[in-house]
Amino acid sequence: MTALVEEPRAVALPGGARAIDMIDMLLRDRAGMLARVRAGTDLHAVIRTMAATIAVALVVVGAALGSFRGGVQVGYAAVKMPLVLLGTAALSAPALSAIGAALGRRSRLSSDLALVMTALAFGALLVAACTPLLLLGRAMHIGYHRTILVAVAMFALGGGAALRMVVGELAAARAPGWRSAITGLTIVFTLVAGQLSWALRPYLVRPQSVDVPFLRQVEGSFLDAVPEAIRSARGIYREPAGRWGSAP
Amino acid sequence: MSVAARELPFPIPRGAAIALTAAAPVAVGGVMAARAGVLAPLAAAPAIVFGVIAATAPALYIATAVAGDAPPLSAVARAIGVALCAFGIALAGLVLPVTFLSLSSVTDLTTIAACTAALGAAAVIAVMRLARELQLRTIAANALFAVWAIAMLGISARLWWLLGVEVM
Repeated sequence: MTALVEEPRAVALPGGARAIDMIDMLLRDRAGMLARVRAGTDLHAVIRTMAATIAVALVVVGAALGSFRGGVQVGYAAVKMPLVLLGTAALSAPALSAIGAALGRRSRLSSDLALVMTALAFGALLVAACTPLLLLGRAMHIGYHRTILVAVAMFALGGGAALRMVVGELAAARAPGWRSAITGLTIVFTLVAGQLSWALRPYLVRPQSVDVPFLRQVEGSFLDAVPEAIRSARGIYREPAGRWGSAP
Repeated sequence: MSVAARELPFPIPRGAAIALTAAAPVAVGGVMAARAGVLAPLAAAPAIVFGVIAATAPALYIATAVAGDAPPLSAVARAIGVALCAFGIALAGLVLPVTFLSLSSVTDLTTIAACTAALGAAAVIAVMRLARELQLRTIAANALFAVWAIAMLGISARLWWLLGVEVM
């Protein structure tokens, strides 16, 4: 009996645990979930479950964002939002393994990918949990820019929670180069997520826009867009409204 | 020989590390070449990486030896090899994001910035790894290492800049 009590938390779930149990564990016992990832227990199942969790959570968030315009945009945003996070994770996670490995960390791509996906799934669930705030804003007609600010705050919360999870796990391992690996991952993730979300816009669609395109024509980059968006939010438009009608 | 030198330097096979070291600079040069529409960066990027290391590594050994803190020549050579592999592995992890950022942007500046940042980050990581492998003890040797690193990174940056100006 004592031996059972002293079993590591990583085996709290059987190898073939149901996805819903894994998600429940992620929400209730993150330390246990991370221990499971650290132990390398059924990593492919973890990655699959977390990818599905991210997809479902962000479909909900995307649909809520698309409801600002309504109609077909609900579906468009619901499809695009999961692509942003899953695509970013696929492009960025190798950087964590590679930078860590270069500095001597005993990293494996599959376990690092599982860690990143687990953290992102947690962040995505937090963002999904905030979705009622978006709907409340919609009900109160708070306007386009305020809706964007609410969305930014939601994603900042989810992103911060996910980053804290990855940092906590790597810091606990005390492996050489973990700080550089985290810094590299954060920079790469921010740049790729910014550019990918920019490439897949619009999500809300501006009220004055006539058309609702699935994707905007490629113009500039995310970094070009940041100062433009700040000016736009202050009511200073560089171009006629029609040209910028549906961004972001 | 130091403890660090006796351990396996990377969590991947030696052959894979060497292959990544050879391929990663070519891949980043390929991103630049695809954007510029010329083949020169394909060869120039690895040439800068390996050429600058080949040209400056003897100076590092001589300087640290004169300072009285250099490991044996074989250990220095091994440390430089490990650092080069660290460069290749780190750069390999950054190739995907760099390719995406370049392909999804409409300006040449994004490609140059992304490629430069990836090469610069990998170079800094390689310098950090080299410092750990060499395990220099005296202040003089560490100061000489810092000067060497700055000079090596400066030469590489200058050559990369000239390449960027030439092809873009």
